[in-house]
Amino acid sequence: MSVLAQTLIQIAVVIMILLILPCAYRVFVGPTPADRLQAIDALTALLIGIIVLLALIQGTSFVIDVALALAAFSFVGTLAIARYLSEGRVF
Amino acid sequence: MLGEIIALLFIAFGVFFSAVGVLGMMRMPDVYTRLHASGKVTTLGIFGLLVGTAILIPEATLKLFGLGLFILLSTPVASHAIAASAYRSGIPMKRASRDDLAGRLPVPIPEE
Repeated sequence: MSVLAQTLIQIAVVIMILLILPCAYRVFVGPTPADRLQAIDALTALLIGIIVLLALIQGTSFVIDVALALAAFSFVGTLAIARYLSEGRVF
Repeated sequence: MLGEIIALLFIAFGVFFSAVGVLGMMRMPDVYTRLHASGKVTTLGIFGLLVGTAILIPEATLKLFGLGLFILLSTPVASHAIAASAYRSGIPMKRASRDDLAGRLPVPIPEE
């Protein structure tokens, strides 16, 4: 990978990290619990993108396993919290 | 060199659509429209990043394909769960012209 490509990918990582700030604002401010849950879901999607870009910067494919685990746990956690919000219990 | 340019274009695509999704999440008036923005647009952005990475690291293509498949399967389910829980817990829609589910929702499972 050329130096220019490395620099552009690092700029992309910085932009993705800056995009977390509006999501965090929505998590803190969001008027309803569903707003916060949805913001956390979008934040996890951004985190998966950041981890994939970090794998690209380091040039290894091992970091992608972390993104897979994060996606799986985020899915289960979102379903559990959504069920808790609507019915008052998880199981 | 050409592959690098194409991969960088895909990554720029992904970052752009992630930014648009977050912008929609900030600007939309209520939970349901915010879910529309983040659930669809952010997923498209992540797919751009995945394709760009798969072009630049060819040995990771299988893992990235699995990750993309999982995201493609899990994001609609998660968005649907959030929307259903928001509707069932009585969060109103802003500026809705009609509500097809009003009065038709099945009785929620009672708490023991």
